[in-house]
Amino acid sequence: MVQRRWLRSLKAWVPRWRISVTGRADFQRNATRFVLRVLAGLGITALGFGLVIWLGTLRYYNLGYAESILPGLGQGFLVTIRLVAVVIPLGFALGFLFGWARTTRSLILRGLGAAYVEVFRGLPPIVLIFFSYLITTLAILNISKNPFIAGDVALWMGAIALSLHSGAYQTEIIRAGILSVPTGQIEAADSVGLSRWQTMFRVTLPQAFRVSLPPLGNEFASVIKDTSLLNIIGWLDLAQIGLLQVPAALKADFNLVFIIWIEIAMLYFVLTFVVTKAVRFVENAYKVPGLEAAEL
Amino acid sequence: MTMVRIQGLHKSFGTLHVLRGVDLDVNRGDVLCIIGPSGSGKSTLLRCTNLLIYPDKGDIFLEGVKVTSREVRPEWVRQQIGMVFQQFNLFTHLTALRNVMLGLVRVKRMDSAAARSKAEFELERVGLADKKDAYPAQLSGGQQQRVAIARALAMDPKVMLFDEPTSALDPEYIHEVLDVMKRLAEEGMTMMVVTHEMGFAKEVADSIIFFDQGQIVERGSPEEIFDRPGHERTKAFVSKILR
Repeated sequence: MVQRRWLRSLKAWVPRWRISVTGRADFQRNATRFVLRVLAGLGITALGFGLVIWLGTLRYYNLGYAESILPGLGQGFLVTIRLVAVVIPLGFALGFLFGWARTTRSLILRGLGAAYVEVFRGLPPIVLIFFSYLITTLAILNISKNPFIAGDVALWMGAIALSLHSGAYQTEIIRAGILSVPTGQIEAADSVGLSRWQTMFRVTLPQAFRVSLPPLGNEFASVIKDTSLLNIIGWLDLAQIGLLQVPAALKADFNLVFIIWIEIAMLYFVLTFVVTKAVRFVENAYKVPGLEAAEL
Repeated sequence: MTMVRIQGLHKSFGTLHVLRGVDLDVNRGDVLCIIGPSGSGKSTLLRCTNLLIYPDKGDIFLEGVKVTSREVRPEWVRQQIGMVFQQFNLFTHLTALRNVMLGLVRVKRMDSAAARSKAEFELERVGLADKKDAYPAQLSGGQQQRVAIARALAMDPKVMLFDEPTSALDPEYIHEVLDVMKRLAEEGMTMMVVTHEMGFAKEVADSIIFFDQGQIVERGSPEEIFDRPGHERTKAFVSKILR
């Protein structure tokens, strides 16, 4: 197959490295695909923006207003990114640990995992966020009497509460992944003489995580949007900054409210898109014949 | 000299009494074939031998070492006993070469260069040197089973256990696996083979066990078992399977 020259020159910039026992060598192709996908997605988004701006220049709406709220929304966008950067890794770590715990032989660990899932999956995230906020605020006010410290810590506790909620879902994803590995694989590992830990890290988990990746991507996409719940305790995130613009907009012109929400929607979309494509990239990088998720 | 000695082995799964007192000796270099109806406990016997399943009662000795004793690590035992499964059980996420290397690197602690050359040698032995970079899903059943044999052989086992190694294969691939096993027997490997391949049992086995309802019904040379079975149940089974 003839490759376009621009594709080849793009490839030259993508690092080539090998993944150890768990992976495959054609990282370069996958990385290229990832970059192209993200570029394509962002390109489409840019086209969307272009269209919107064009409509503005035709005076379908107030372009000046759309521009004027962007810097503020940008600030909120950065806050949302910061939240996502905490909630996704933390939720994944929790999901991994408890998912593993739920598949061990230990009754205590399994019970712990089950209790965690039931509690944090069974309560609405908004309730969890409020609870954690109130409890930390009260606790810290009792100790230090400094409301500013209390406020800061309580804000982050809200983010942790959301991680716990997401972690409960990820626990079940990881558990399903581990259980999907056939017992024959573990018997084979045993028969070669691998220890229980070696079997876990060299045989079970490498297969389990490949199976878990697509639903994990789903969960990441979902929790990105759930970060918008954190503004109820005072996070000035993307959604909140938007909300704060609404009353003034309503007073001036009802149509301005649409502009606010369209801009918010686009920014959330960009974030979700990049994260899900990144998951897809990892998925492709570790794809192995016989274990692949269906190619979309 | 006795390689494997099994004494008074019992195993139950819940209320199902699968092994009901098995006594068995296998000499070094011997090929023992175990035949019998399905559900008779043949697989359980093999799995107890390398402690994939712990027996409830009875003892197993490997070269005189009591491996069922508490002081012996099961990993140490399994490392010395190779096992080949009906469903191959190759590690799906690893290439043929990596499948063979895994135990060498992680269990035998060989450095990766030495492990690689050893693994390549073992794949060569089963005639699959050119398939070393293929993933299991890219191999035929027969090829997968040969990789599985190479994986077991790479650990330099004292005994090889085969649990119906050709039962899951398409007919056209059976001979290539049996050929490898025959060569192994000629090289003097001690083997315990659960099989329905009566031709193989006749040709290669030093002795044959007819196993039924968790017990050894009869043990003898291939001629004794196939041509003049001493027991009614053996007679019935052999006549059915040789028809």
